[in-house]
Order: sequence, then C-alpha cells, then structure tokens
Amino acid sequence: MSIRREFRLLRHGRDWRGRSTVPRSAEPHVVEPEEKVFPTAWARTPAAVAARSVLRKGLLKPVAWRQITPVIEGAEYLDGVRGPVVFVANHSSHLDTPLILGSLPERFANRVAVGAASDYFFDVRWRATLTAVFFNAFPVERYGSKRLRSLAVDLVDDGWSLLLYPEGTRSEDGWMNPFKLGAAVLCVTKGIPCVPIAIRGSYAAMPRGRNWPQPGKPRVTVRYGRPLVPEEGEDVRAFRTRMAKAVNMLAAEEDLGWYDALRAAADDRLEIPGGSQPTRPGAVRDENAKTEQTADWRRVWASTEPLTGRRRRVWRD
Amino acid sequence: MILALEYHRSPGRFVAARGLTSTRVGSRLSGMVAGNVAPLRLVNRQAPELPGEGWTRVTPILTGICGSDLSLLTGHSSPYLSPMTSMPFVPGHEIVGRTMDELPGIPKGSRVVIDPVLSCAVRGMEPCRWCASGQQSRCDHITAGRISAGIQTGTCGDTGGGWSRQLVAHASQLHVVPEDLPDERAVLAEPLACAIHSVRRVPIGPNSTAVVVGAGTVGLLTLLALRELTQVGAIYVIAKHGHQKDKAKALGATAVIEPRKAVRALRRVTTARMHTPEMGADFLLGGVDTVFECTGGASGLDTSLRLARAGGTVVMSGMPSGGVDLTPLWFRELELVGAYCSGSDGADFADALRLAGSAPLDGYVGTTYPLARWREALNHAADSGRLGTVKVAFDLAR
Amino acid sequence: MSRPGFVLDVDERTPPLIMHQGEGFRLERLPLGSKVIYPPDSLPGIRDVDAAIRHALLHPHGTEPLPELLTPGMRLTIVFDDLSLPLPPMQTPDVRQRIIEQVLEMAAAKGVDDVELIAANALHRRMTPAELRRTVGDRVFHAFFPEHLKNHDAEDRDNLLHMGKTRHGEDVEINRRAAESDLIVYVNITLTAMSGGAKSVSVGLASYRSLKHHHNVHTLRHSNSFNDPPNSAMHHSYERMKGLIDEHVKVFTIETTLNNDTFPSSMGFLNKREWEWNVRDQASYLAVKRANELMPKKTRRRIWQSTAAPYGVTGVHAGLQSEVHPLTLNNVHRQQLTEVNGQSDIAIWGLPYICPYNVNSVMNPILVMSLGLGYFFNLYKNKPIVRQGGVAIFYHPVPNEFHPVHHPSYIDFFEEILTESTDPVLLETKYEEQFATDPWYIQLYRNSYAYHGVHPFYMWYWGAHAMQHLGDVIFVGGNRKTTQRMGFRAASTLGDALEMAKDTVGSSPSIAYHHAPPLALADVR
Repeated sequence: MSIRREFRLLRHGRDWRGRSTVPRSAEPHVVEPEEKVFPTAWARTPAAVAARSVLRKGLLKPVAWRQITPVIEGAEYLDGVRGPVVFVANHSSHLDTPLILGSLPERFANRVAVGAASDYFFDVRWRATLTAVFFNAFPVERYGSKRLRSLAVDLVDDGWSLLLYPEGTRSEDGWMNPFKLGAAVLCVTKGIPCVPIAIRGSYAAMPRGRNWPQPGKPRVTVRYGRPLVPEEGEDVRAFRTRMAKAVNMLAAEEDLGWYDALRAAADDRLEIPGGSQPTRPGAVRDENAKTEQTADWRRVWASTEPLTGRRRRVWRD
Repeated sequence: MILALEYHRSPGRFVAARGLTSTRVGSRLSGMVAGNVAPLRLVNRQAPELPGEGWTRVTPILTGICGSDLSLLTGHSSPYLSPMTSMPFVPGHEIVGRTMDELPGIPKGSRVVIDPVLSCAVRGMEPCRWCASGQQSRCDHITAGRISAGIQTGTCGDTGGGWSRQLVAHASQLHVVPEDLPDERAVLAEPLACAIHSVRRVPIGPNSTAVVVGAGTVGLLTLLALRELTQVGAIYVIAKHGHQKDKAKALGATAVIEPRKAVRALRRVTTARMHTPEMGADFLLGGVDTVFECTGGASGLDTSLRLARAGGTVVMSGMPSGGVDLTPLWFRELELVGAYCSGSDGADFADALRLAGSAPLDGYVGTTYPLARWREALNHAADSGRLGTVKVAFDLAR
Repeated sequence: MSRPGFVLDVDERTPPLIMHQGEGFRLERLPLGSKVIYPPDSLPGIRDVDAAIRHALLHPHGTEPLPELLTPGMRLTIVFDDLSLPLPPMQTPDVRQRIIEQVLEMAAAKGVDDVELIAANALHRRMTPAELRRTVGDRVFHAFFPEHLKNHDAEDRDNLLHMGKTRHGEDVEINRRAAESDLIVYVNITLTAMSGGAKSVSVGLASYRSLKHHHNVHTLRHSNSFNDPPNSAMHHSYERMKGLIDEHVKVFTIETTLNNDTFPSSMGFLNKREWEWNVRDQASYLAVKRANELMPKKTRRRIWQSTAAPYGVTGVHAGLQSEVHPLTLNNVHRQQLTEVNGQSDIAIWGLPYICPYNVNSVMNPILVMSLGLGYFFNLYKNKPIVRQGGVAIFYHPVPNEFHPVHHPSYIDFFEEILTESTDPVLLETKYEEQFATDPWYIQLYRNSYAYHGVHPFYMWYWGAHAMQHLGDVIFVGGNRKTTQRMGFRAASTLGDALEMAKDTVGSSPSIAYHHAPPLALADVR
C-alpha cells in the first residue's frame, strides 16, 4: 500500500491531533486518561531562574512600569525575613503578579513560585510554558480530588517561597472574595511566615476582560505588611482570619492612612470577606449600613475609582 | 529426385548450435537453433540407390522426430559418434512406410516399420559375434561392408533416412505392421522396441522399485515396457509437465513427481535418508532399485545416480550428453547400464508392435508436419513437453 | 485496576482497526455493526517475582514445602516447558530461569547431587544450546550443560519407560529418567488455558506411542474447545495419564502465568485499543509498518523473530498439580477471558508471525493452518465464535516457505500428502504411521533440529474440529496455490472475502473480529 493511502487510512476518523472518537460501545470502557500534570521542574533550574531574572528586569518590569504608575510600600518589612515564606495577596487583575514580582527584592523575586490555576494557565501547552517561564508558576488544582496533592508542599520543602492568591480566582468586580484555606494550612503545617500584600487600583488599571492596562498610567499600589508567623497550636481558620485582616488593613491604608488603618484594625472595624460576601478592599464596617447586599454596579464603581494618592475618606459618613 | 532434409558437415554451424544451446537462454531456444543454426537443409536430391539383393525402396508414411535427432541438431551429440556416420545423410529412424519392391515374404506395398540398426546382415558381411547371437545393436561392423558408415538408418549416407520421400532398407530391417495397427501407433514401434530392450537389459526383481527419470516418449514407453513385461512393483515417474502426469498414470505409474520434489518424495516412499551436500543436489542413502534415465541430459543422469540405492542399477536409455559426477557410482557400487536400440533378434520389435496395438497410446503422435514445414516441426518437437505433445512426426505423404 | 475485556460494536466513530498479517500488520475498516472481541487490559505484573517464587515454593498447595521434599542422595529431575512457550519469547531473565535457580539453590542447600534438567519438548524439535541457555540462564547452563541439561528424546528407546495403560487403554510412556526420579519438579508457563496442568508431564515427556492416544482426529474433534479443559476430550485423556503417572512418581508443579504485554514498547500500539492511540502510536505505526515493508525478507524475519515480550508475571503457584492448576487457570481467565454474546456467521482473525512451532524458524502453510483453525479458532469457551457452517476469514500471506532443517516432514506432508487429500481422518489412517516411523525423520528429530515426522499430522488434526465446523475458510492476502492446496480459498481484500463468503452465509452476515494478539479467550454465551 502506498504511504499516502496508508496515511489516509490511519487518519480516518481522527482529528488533527490524531485523537480518535471513541466507538459508542467502547464508551463504558474508557478510562479517564491520567491527567498529566504539566512538568514545571525545569522552570526552577538555575538556568531558568537566570533567564527569568533577565526577562523580569529587561521586559516584564519595564513594560509594566511604563504602562502604570506603581507605588510600592512596605517592602522594607521583608528585610529581616528568611525564606521560605508565603506571600498572600488580594487578586483582581493579571497585573497583580507582575507587580508583585517586579517589586519584590531580588533575593525573593528569584526564589518565589507562583500558584496558578491549572485549569486555566496549564490547560494548553503554550500557555503553560509561557506562564512557567515568566512567573515560575506551578499548577494549583482549584477543583477535584487532586487539590490536596499540590506541589506547594514540595516547593516549600525545597526552599521556594510561594505567591498565592487565597481568593482562588481573580475578582469579578475588584472586591475581595473570602479566602480559601490552602495558604493558611500551608503556613500552619509548615510553620512558615506569611507575608500579606494588598494591591489597590489594579482592577481599575486592568480589570477582567482587558489584556492591556488602561491608558493614562493609572496609579496602582502594592503594599507589603509585616510577616505573620503562625503561633504554636494556632487554628488554621484563625490564622486565615488574621491573614485576611492583615490584607484588608493594608488595603485600607490607601484610604485611611497608616495609623487610621492600624486603629481600625485594632477596633476590629475592618470588614473581612466571609461566607459568600465579598468586601471592598480596605472597607471599614459601617454601623448604619442599610442593606446587606451592595449592588453590583456600586462595587465596580467603587473599584474603578482612580487612586489619587490623597487620603480620602470614602464610605465614611 | 526426392525431397529430403539433409544433414551436412559444417563444423561452424555445429559449434554455433552447441554454443548457443548450452547457455541458459539458448537452451530455451533449442527449437529455433535446430531449425536455423543446425547444418540441416531441405533439398531435392537423388533418391538412394538399392545397394543390392535383399533391399527394397521404402516410401515413409510417418517418421518421428527423436530426442537424439534434436541432440544432433543442437550440437549435443557426442563427437564420439562421428566416425560412425557418413555425411551428408538424411536423419529419421522412427519410420513407418510402404515397401516399393518385392521381397521374399514381404510383398511390394507392404506396410512396414524399420529396425534402423545397420548390422552385419544389412552390410552383407559375415555376422560378427553379436549379430551371430542376435544382438544386432551391438554389431562391431557398423562402419564396414557394402554401405558407408552409419550406426542406423538416418545416419548413413547411402540408405537415406526417414525425413525424406524415399529411402532404402534391407529385408532384415523390416517388420510388417499388422493391418489393424494405425500408422500413428506403428511409428512408435521403434522407440517402444528400444524401451523394451532397455528393461530387458537388467534383471528386475519382483516387487522391486523403479524410477523413470523423464516422461517424454522414451520415459513413457519405458514405463509401459516395465509395467507390461516385468514383475516390478512400484514405478515412480519424474515428469516435468502436467500432461505427462496423466499419461504416466494411465500407463501404470505408482506416482508421478515433479523434478524439483523428486529426491524428497522418493526418500519418503523408500524410507531412505536424505542428505544435502555442500555443493550439488540432494541425494539418498537408501533409495530405489532401478533407475531408468530417459532424458538424455546430464542432469537427468546426475539425479538418477543420486536416487539409486547402494548396489542398484542405473539404465541409460537416452543418448547421453555432458558429464556428471560419478562419485555415487563408485561409493554406492551402482551398476551403470547402457541400452541402445533394440535387440533379441527382433523379438523386441515384435513385442513392440504387439504392445503398440494394445497399450493406451492414443494421441501420442499428436501433431504431424509436412517436410516443407520442417522448421515448425523441429520447433514443436523441441518444446513438445511444454506444448502437451509426446511425439512430433513428419507426414511424408503430405 | 485494569479494564476487563469487552466486545466493541463497530460504528461510525470507530477508527480502522489493527490486523496482524504474518510478518506485518495493517489497518482494516470493518463493516459497520461488526463485533470486535478485545481482551482485558494487561494486568499489572508481580513486582518482586523472586519473592513470589520463593513464597510459592515454601508455601505450596497440597504438599510439603519444597525444601522438605529434598533429601541428600535423591534423584531430582527438573523439567521445564520448551521453546513453544511463551509466544513471543519472554525478555530475559525468563521466569523459568528464576524458578529453576531458586529450586537449585534449595536443592544445593539440602545436598542433592543427582540433578537432571530436561526440556519437555515431546515431539517438538530439540532446543539449540543457545535457546536452552536463554531459557535457563547462564548460571544453570554452565553448571549443567550438556551432560545434565538435555532435551527430552521421545525416540530414545532406552530412556523411555512404559508405565502401563490407563483404564481407557491408553499407553503411558514417558522419559525414563524423569519417571524413575524421586521427585520431578515441573516448571511451567501457562500462556493459554490449554497448556499446563496434567498436560505438562504426560505430554511434554511422552513418546509417540503415548501421544497418539490423544493427538488424533477423534479426540480433537471432541475437544470443544481444547482451551476449555472440562469440555476437552484431549484434556480428559491427559488427566487419566497424569493419574497413572502420579502412582509412579511424585511431581512438584510450579505454574506461572503472564500478562498481556505481548509487544515491546517500540510496537506499543499493538497492545493498545486503536481509538486510544496517541500521535506517537500513530507515528510509530506508520514508521514500523513502512520499515517492515521495505526490509528485505530475511532481515524482516530475523527482526520479528528476535522480538521479545516484556511480559509481567501475574501469578506463581506451586505444589500438587491438581490443586495448582485451577489457580493458574483462574489467572489466565482473569487476563484473557472476554464474554461474547452469541455466535457470528463470519469470524475474522489476523494471524501473527509466530506460532508455537516456528520460534526462530519459518511459519509454513501447515503452521498457518494450525495457528488459524487450531489455536485461534479454539480460543473459546462454550461455543465457537463462529456458528456451525459459518465462514472463517484469516489474514495471512501463507507463503510457500518451509524451514528445511526444522520442518522436513512438513515439506513432504505439504507436497505429497495434501495433494492427495485434506481429510484428516483419511490422512491419519493412511499416512500417519508411515511418517511417525520414518527412520529419516526420527534421525533428524534426534540428531538435528527437526520436528518429529508425525508432527505435521498433529498440526492438521489441530484444525480438524474447525474444518468440520466451518462452511468455508478464506485467507485475505493468501497465496492462492498454498491456500488451495490446503482446501481453502484466497482473497485479495476483505471486501472480496466477504463477497466470497456470501455463498455460504448469505448477504447480511454477522461478523466478529477476534482482536488478537494480545490473546483473548472468548466466552461465547
């Protein structure tokens, strides 16, 4: 048989990637193929680290810093910290990761791995490869049974710091969603510190659905907080609450200023997301609030309000 | 003047024919070579004169084309025979014809077959010891006497031959053909007599085994003679062509085997052991009692020697051509026996005429050609096995 | 957990399916609605085979642990399955080697001096020294070959012992050395449900005199199938003989079973279901097929013959044969049994390059017949895959080739006997004795590497049941002359074959394709 005919026969009923449809009668016998975890170990080799460092300083940071006006605060808290640590941040934009990586001190920036949703970032090969190259991302299962067998523990054991977004997803409207337990579990079980980070303005600069920042160099703040160290015997949930509070306090600093934010935290006036309720980053509890629910448009409205850098008092009548 | 095919001396043509047919391709073209290269020509020549008393002119009716004729024409007959021929001569020795002169006991116009051997009686000489004992085929005076040299009618320049309109024959050569025997069967009398002679050359024990190598005219008629005249048990025939298989079965062959499979098959039926030498064909330890080589080829003889059991007999019926490895002859202490023409003081011929009448030989002389189409005839004869023919003959009446 | 076997219904979504065809393979599109019988997925192999062997030897079924059976000064004979198992041969180390080494270690520890190793080749050809060495391993080979590591010689009258007759009057005659031993340790590989069990000693070490009682047309026509021992007259005979043997000599049996990892990873696609082929499988299919076709015939044969299967061992059981064999059969069924609903009018088989009798040799037409109508046709329980009077379609070129050293009697059988008749009964009565006693065949069997003279007859009987059952046999891509000689027909394509089958089974036949190897044993309900 000619090679052409042979090839045609072989291709019969297969798609362009050579996958065949499953005969109806064989469907009950199909085993779900072992979900192959995209290998990322190569992205943590010294060569890859060096390449990423070049990419970050030569491409990622200059481009990002040119498109927006970043304000970095509190990075000095990291001075005395020794890795590995877990960075947790609120998450509302694709800008968040470049901003954090670009603003981290070099010794952390080269030793941090970013948890990325495996169902999105590691879905197709090309995206997985790019994400791993630029951000040293590793796949995090958001759903399903394999969530518990995450790579995170191994990475921490190998001395890598992690950047995790405990909300589990980018925010729809710039507000913060309740934190999931994963990051807290990791800190508590491994006994490593957690560095809270709050990002303000990234939603306004580049919300969901955009893939390039808004024109006009919008202002975005990245604020680092003091590392939180899990105490002996501390409950995972309690630690998670501490984490959420810390993040929210940093977010509130944008509006209230450092001291007022500290005070609000001390008075326990900061709102933290709970149940299925999102809260505005940096929101302070309003005793006179009339409705439980805030209308969607108001959330987006509030989130997209440009940051001016002036301490303004919003929602504080 | 008569029309005749004449073989003349031409060393150049002889060598050319021999050279051509000994190549692989040429051997397939032997019919073409016999017709075009061989020193044979169709001529009008003087009819042969009666050499003396006791002779008659004979008008052939049918004359067969024999394997030995073809060997001669393709240059494969041995030069050994050359002193016993006298050129130019007219070939053809398987003759059925009609006498043209009155002879004692054989009236003019009798239908006769001719024993071609030109022995003492024919040559008008005192009988040599063989002729005296009735074994004319062994005659020592084959080059002397009143006619020129020639072992047979058909190699002698003075007698003429069957491939012509007329020849002369001595009364002692003639055998009157019974009325009811058709010409097509009568023309087989000469080769059949030879076959009968060959099986009488060796003692064949009851229930012994025999192999006939080759299933052309000689092979088939040898098979017939074996079956009819001896107590032989199984007869295996090695036949190349399909139609030969049916004919051999009809004549009483136990099994008919393709040449390629012969050694293996015979090994099995004789429960012998087969061995494969580093060079050359397989051979048997153990094997058959008597082998009749009826191809006239070297490979046929080689096969025969490899098939015979120790102390067995190989009879050479075909006119040999080419050399063979005689080691089996020595090692297995074989008897190698030649069988030339007929003997027994004419008894072979008498039996031949009888058998020719009774045996299932219909269709053996399948095709006849007039002399004028001699090239076609020779071509057909050279390829007869493949073309499903046993014997090709010239029809001289046409 | 590997998936069980199942029957595929060919529908529009079914890709072309792989089909073995002698020393090659092809894809074939089967008519819609055809059934395809797939074996269960390959079972996971035992991880530590040596430990499993040791455990089996020390905790045998129905007898004392092996070390307790070994005493100084005893006569110990270790008998092992010959070259015909497994198919294709196993990647070294062979499981037989692993077992024999452990048995010998125990024997050495117990001070046993008189040890003899015998390949149970019955009337098969002798194994060459290289083949023996590959089977038993270097250490054993060097220690025992050639004086104490031998092939069984079924024609060595001095070394055969007639033990008597069974109640059915069957002669039991086996290797004398084994019969007169204090203990026989039989090392087996059970590849199909046919082998192992009572067959091991009563067939592997027997002579023609004994074998003819079950290797005959009558018995085989009543073995439906011979892969279903309870329904196999042949196995009943084995059992009777084994009963007699057990009265004379103690046999410690070690049986092993293998999984379905039949092809090495370079040809991994042959082990997979076609719709699960990934790009790599497809590329290697194309590459292997093309290379295979371009290769000179001899090279191709050498490469096929040198492939070794990366089998995993799925079970090692030792002890009393009658207690061990059910466990072994269970393992075989676990790996091979597929339930099939109902018989079909037409069954299709793709015959591979190897059968039990052409390892390192040539697959001649008789062996093709025995592989198709013998082995593959009989890969069923209960009922044949194809109905009475149905049609079998095989894929094989059936070339007219014979190995002159290994199969001399096959050549004569094919050239002379089959030209007279293909009727097994007639051949049996008229010619079997002649071939069986032919001194040349016997000499070649004993001194050269030839199958016994009677062996081609056994091959022909192997197909006797199928020949009686089937209405027609068609070889796709088969040599016309050779198929015709055997009484079959040749077609150039599946379409032609189905067209030819119409005469026998009508215009809309049901079709079953028995997807093997890897082997599937069809349990037809």
